[in-house]
Amino acid sequence: MPLWFARGLRRGIVTTRYPARPDGSSASLPTPPAFRLAALTRPVADRLCAACPNGALRRENDVLIFDVGACTACGRCADAAPEAVVPSGQFELASTDRSALIKRIPLAGAGR
Amino acid sequence: MSREDLTMTPNGNVGPAGGPGPASSAEGGRTPASGTGDVARELRQRIAGQFGRSLHIRTLDTGSCAVCEQEIRLLAAPHYDLHRLGFFFTPAPRHADLLLVTGPMIRAMDVAARKTYEAMPGPKVVVATGACALGGIYPEDPFVHGDAGKVLPVDVWIPGCPPSPLALLHGLLVAVGRLAEKTPGLTFLADGETR
Repeated sequence: MPLWFARGLRRGIVTTRYPARPDGSSASLPTPPAFRLAALTRPVADRLCAACPNGALRRENDVLIFDVGACTACGRCADAAPEAVVPSGQFELASTDRSALIKRIPLAGAGR
Repeated sequence: MSREDLTMTPNGNVGPAGGPGPASSAEGGRTPASGTGDVARELRQRIAGQFGRSLHIRTLDTGSCAVCEQEIRLLAAPHYDLHRLGFFFTPAPRHADLLLVTGPMIRAMDVAARKTYEAMPGPKVVVATGACALGGIYPEDPFVHGDAGKVLPVDVWIPGCPPSPLALLHGLLVAVGRLAEKTPGLTFLADGETR
C-alpha cells in the first residue's frame, strides 16, 4: 500500500466544515481589538491612537472611532494599553456597507 | 481618450447603491416590492440565486504586497477547499462572475482595472479584499487611489491584513447571499460589556 494512502486513511478528512460548523483554527487567528469600557479613559484612548500605525483609531471628544477596515490586527494597541484592549476573536467581518465597518466606542466618563 | 475618462464612477451594479441591507437568503423576500429598496433586495436575491453553487472568481492585484494573494491561494488548499462550495478561480475575466480586488488601487492600474471590469459579463460582483483595498493603509496621492471603491463599484468589503482564508470564505458567501453579514451587530466591546 503506498505510504500516502495509509497516511490519508490515518488522518481522515482534513477539510474544514466551515461554514456549517466552526473551524478549529479560527481561535488562533489574529483579530481586531475589543475594548473594555471601564478602562477606556481619554488618556488611554490617546495612547491607543498614538500606538496605531494605520490611523484606524482616532478620538473625537468622548468617542473612540475604530475603523475595522483599516485595522491590521497588529496588536500594538494591546501592547500600549493591555488593561483596556483584548482580542475580539471576530474574523467574519465582511460587509456590504463600508460605513458599517466604522465603529463608535464611548469612553469611560462620557455621559452614558 | 484621456486617463481621466477611464476612471470609473460607482454606478448601478449588483448591490443597491444606497444602504444595502444584509444579503441574507433567509430574509424571505416574498412580499411584493413596494419601493426601490425592496426591488433592489429582490434583484439581489435573484442574482444570488443565479450564482447558486457555481461562481467563477477572477483576482485583480492592484499593487498589493501579495500576502492577500497567499491567503487567496490557500482557499484552494485541501483544508479550505473552496471548490466544495461551488467557487472556482478562472484566469479569464470574460468567464468570471466575481472580481476579487486586492491592493491599494495604484493609478497605473486604472486602464487595466476598467478593462477587466468591463470584460466581465453581468451580473457581476466586486469584492474588495484586505486593508489596502479598503482604504486603510495608503492615503490618496499621485501614485495610488488608496481605495478600491474609488475606481470600481465595490459590493462587499473584506477587512484584514491579510484576511484569513476563513474570512475570505465568509466574504464570498456574503457576496452570493448564502451567509448573513455579522458586522452591523458587532460592537467591539470586551465580553459582557454593553454601552
